[in-house]
Amino acid sequence: MDAQLLVSGIIFGLSIGSVFFLMAIGLSLCFGLMRIISLDQLLYYSVGAYITYTLSLVTGSIWLGVLGGVVAGGIVAFAVERLIFRRIYERELTFSMITSFGVLIGGIGVIKFFWGVIPRPVPVPTLAQVDIFGTDVPVYRIMVVAIAFLVYAGIWLFLNRTITGKAIRAGIEDVEHVEGLGINVSRLFTITFIIAGTLSGLAGGLHAPLIMVDPQMGLEVLAFVFMVVIIGGLGSIKGTLVSAMIVGQVVSLGSLVYAPLAQMAPFAVMLLILLVKPTGLYGSAMLKK
Amino acid sequence: MLNAFRWWWGIVLAFALLALSRLYLPLPFVIEVVIFSIYTIGCSFLLGRVGFISFGQPAYLAVGAYGTAFYLFYFGTNPYVGILIGILSGVAVSAIVGPLFVRLRSDYFALVNLALAVIVYYLMQKVLADITKGDNGLWFLTNIASTPVLDLSTPNQFFIFSLLVGVAVWGLYKYLDDTVFGACCMATKINEDKLKFLGYSNYRIRLFAFIIANTTTALAGAMYAIYLGFVSPEITSPARTADPVVVTILGGTGTLYGPIVGSIAYTGMKDVISKYIGNWELFIGFLLVFIMLAGERGIWGTLQPRLQALFSRKKKAAVPAGSGGTQR
Repeated sequence: MDAQLLVSGIIFGLSIGSVFFLMAIGLSLCFGLMRIISLDQLLYYSVGAYITYTLSLVTGSIWLGVLGGVVAGGIVAFAVERLIFRRIYERELTFSMITSFGVLIGGIGVIKFFWGVIPRPVPVPTLAQVDIFGTDVPVYRIMVVAIAFLVYAGIWLFLNRTITGKAIRAGIEDVEHVEGLGINVSRLFTITFIIAGTLSGLAGGLHAPLIMVDPQMGLEVLAFVFMVVIIGGLGSIKGTLVSAMIVGQVVSLGSLVYAPLAQMAPFAVMLLILLVKPTGLYGSAMLKK
Repeated sequence: MLNAFRWWWGIVLAFALLALSRLYLPLPFVIEVVIFSIYTIGCSFLLGRVGFISFGQPAYLAVGAYGTAFYLFYFGTNPYVGILIGILSGVAVSAIVGPLFVRLRSDYFALVNLALAVIVYYLMQKVLADITKGDNGLWFLTNIASTPVLDLSTPNQFFIFSLLVGVAVWGLYKYLDDTVFGACCMATKINEDKLKFLGYSNYRIRLFAFIIANTTTALAGAMYAIYLGFVSPEITSPARTADPVVVTILGGTGTLYGPIVGSIAYTGMKDVISKYIGNWELFIGFLLVFIMLAGERGIWGTLQPRLQALFSRKKKAAVPAGSGGTQR
């Protein structure tokens, strides 16, 4: 394998990993605080991508489209939270999983209704290339990675420096105590859910120019996002970042070695990690229900 | 003799009704219902009895279907041997992945199974495209030889065969409910610590239940393969992973006859609705959300206590063990 291929492979892996990270963080936060498994994050991802597609067609600016996707992801998440999740926070974990799967499948039906089943291309915002170690690398992919790390920093600051963020962190430890302190837990849940939906919408908007937008796109990344969450450990932000980058690199470098490996290798990595540590890399036993 | 009759009559009645419905309903519909209910009972058993929810059942369905398909496409012609190979490949795969999966918590278990379904899809569609013919699928309808007694290559006799298989599968699951093993499955769902205290191994019980359930699913896959005469990766496509879970909940989780009732309702609705709306996912998704919010007991779960009350009013004598009376 020559160096050029390796460098572009690593950059590709980082950008894919960034998208996975943005989506998995929502799942991880929702599990940590509300104890739900919110499969419908994949719906907000598709919604974000489709809004990006439509807005970039209408306005001609993809960044505006991504912004619209982010907002749309947040709004849909808010509606779903108010209509459905509100009623099921108290229930078992599997209950939320089944319900959110219903939301995901139903949402895909709605997307098919509005946009049809044909895959749509979204143009890349900038075609510029930058030279890294003698390899031409698309700037857009580097931008995606940069945005993911900015989001990580932002989430970290939010969770550690603001009152709401601190309340969320405390809620991950023990929700009832937080409620006892007089904090409106129900509003906290809504905020967390909207943040998760927004980030999934961002992931969709950023990923759209790199792939074709089609109604099943959520289900296509589903397996990878779950691998990220499982490897990192449910409820851990840092674990999610680390494992997203691992999965991204495994997908990208694996496909350089032997193309079909890209789909299979992450699965093998996940099984290995689960064998050694059934709670994932950073998942603590404390989070056990 | 009487005891044996009491034990069997519910199952025999259910399948006799299915056989009778053949007079009014088209054959493909009834066969679909029978195979689908065999497909679903594995998921229902895992969810209702062992407390494991699995979004990955299509993976095992595909394993059974492809096991049968490989045999009939490349090696032999006897459909019975094909089904046997499908079942054996189901046992093999679940025995390989089982020890890894059943150690996980219920939520991780669901996600890992979902991942497995997607992996199997890609495996069959892309990685093994040379031998599975990718998206085109394997066509082997003409390879299936006629067999004496029950000729599986004719739809009518295949229908009889599928009913017999159904009776056998339901007999097996009803028997499991009566055994110590069935009680242990319930116990591992409700309180694993106490079960450990009684000297049973949670791990072994779960592994055994996992293998039984997924072997049943593989059997359904093998029957699909014989019935349709072709297998394509579509069988395990990510969009269909929710089907068995939807049907399980629709019918009533963990009840013996829930899967049959659910399959009838689901297949019927699919046939009726897909005539009017092409957009099938939209409907399943919202149906699932609705059932979950409406109280998750499902059709049979709601119907059964009423039927039981009706029966016990008619005959004051002991409620028969059949008709799912003792279940749940």
